[in-house]
Amino acid sequence: MFHWLEKNPFFFAVAVFVVIAFAGLIEILPNFAQASRPVIGTKPYTTLELAGRHVYIKNSCNACHSQLVRPFKSETDRYGHYSLSGEYAYDRPFLWGSKRTGPDLMRVGNYRTTDWHENHMKDPAAVVPGSIMPAYGWMFKNKADVDTAYAEQVTVNKVFKTPYNAELPMADGSKVKVALADSVEAARASALEEAKVIAADMKDQDVKDAVAKGEIPEIVALIAYLNSLK
Amino acid sequence: MNKTVLAAIVVVIAMLGFTYVAVGSAGGMGGEGDWVNKLAVLGAVVLVIVTAFVVTKYVRQMQSDTAGGQLADENWDGIGEYKNELPFGWAVIFLGSIVWAMWYFLAGYPVNAYSQIGEYNDEVKAHDTKFEAQFAKMDDATLNAMGESVFIVQCAPCHGLQADGMDGKAANLHERIAEKSVKHIVMNGANNFKTDYAGGMPPMLLQDPAQVDAVAKYVASGFKADDAAGKAAYAAGTCNTCHGENGEGMPSVAPKINGWEAGMVATVLKDGKKGAIGAMPAFTNLTAVQTKALGAYVSSLSKK
Repeated sequence: MFHWLEKNPFFFAVAVFVVIAFAGLIEILPNFAQASRPVIGTKPYTTLELAGRHVYIKNSCNACHSQLVRPFKSETDRYGHYSLSGEYAYDRPFLWGSKRTGPDLMRVGNYRTTDWHENHMKDPAAVVPGSIMPAYGWMFKNKADVDTAYAEQVTVNKVFKTPYNAELPMADGSKVKVALADSVEAARASALEEAKVIAADMKDQDVKDAVAKGEIPEIVALIAYLNSLK
Repeated sequence: MNKTVLAAIVVVIAMLGFTYVAVGSAGGMGGEGDWVNKLAVLGAVVLVIVTAFVVTKYVRQMQSDTAGGQLADENWDGIGEYKNELPFGWAVIFLGSIVWAMWYFLAGYPVNAYSQIGEYNDEVKAHDTKFEAQFAKMDDATLNAMGESVFIVQCAPCHGLQADGMDGKAANLHERIAEKSVKHIVMNGANNFKTDYAGGMPPMLLQDPAQVDAVAKYVASGFKADDAAGKAAYAAGTCNTCHGENGEGMPSVAPKINGWEAGMVATVLKDGKKGAIGAMPAFTNLTAVQTKALGAYVSSLSKK
């Protein structure tokens, strides 16, 4: 075997790589596979939440807001439990961010509510004095792209086996099932049902009217996403 | 003079020359500069001289030495080996390395001794111990100050730094309850504080809009004795049977509605709240001491 390798430089190089990488492979890969498994309580995004996530990415929220709580007391006091890798199991891509111009949003759903987000996105400085965050007025007019969100749901369900329509254990012992609609029409309908719940807690009459008409403004999808961050 | 020694002297002079060009008089070679620079230059000079001396010694040894000593029995194609003792220092380092490797493998490896989460847990534990010891007994002023600082971090984003609810975006904490909220609760009922008041309050105990308005004004303005219409409406709606004649509340039946007190604030923090203004999340991340402090601060606001 070795004599054969000696005469075939390419395969020799491959063998060298395997030998050198061996320790890394047996140490890193199993740990990685275990740590990236979904933490109990993590569930895939619904259609509306995913549409909101697209709004979040489209407006580069992740350029100023991280989604990664580090294990330091100063951070866990402010944001809640430090992040675990399994919590990002259904994030494609993850939105850790690299710079905090604004606060971390990993668990913003625990301590902010629909009406607060509505006030804040309309005029951040009105709620947080001295805030340098710009207002996102157009989100109250533009419509969220539910179809793309549904397409992503179907894709991750097919390709990555993201567990839609499956019973998932929650931290309190209950089971939760995130449904994946059978057709894009059904997905639009279920997203609208979610949107109605959010809009009921909102004050903006235009948004309420739009949802009543069957449209989903971006702000509704975004709030659904932010509320899901827990 | 030997050629090797001559070469060594030339190299030393050249190196010292280079050093002088590089650092100059400012570097300390001319007696100027601070002592750190002088020490560095002195070190460089010593290094150059020692190197030259050692190299010269061994080069000369190689030139003049002849092999000696007892040959080992083994012989490989005419190449033999002298029976030399292991150098003592080398042997000590070799054996020491073996012992050290065992220690490092079994106990010393960082993964066994340190983890980031372990450090975090230690940090939290140390802080909690210190916090509990420091604030085991607090006077009212300290309690209030702590409550205010917790308020600024946790509550001010919605209730505002002045606790005025920022133009109706959240509850104004300088009053117990707003007229609007009383109306909303009378019309829709309430079941906000599931842990402490499991029963909840049924909707539509008062049907007549005039009476609803009267009771809203009566409760929101603080149970004024001369408000006969409000008082009558309050009684008509049987509010007093649960909330008490003056809204002082009843344990595990109905919350106090004539003002804030620490216990009421703790109840709101425990269950969160949803009403006419919007929703408030539960704040379960606060410690018991922080909750108490926040209760003291918030109830002090409405008493002023």
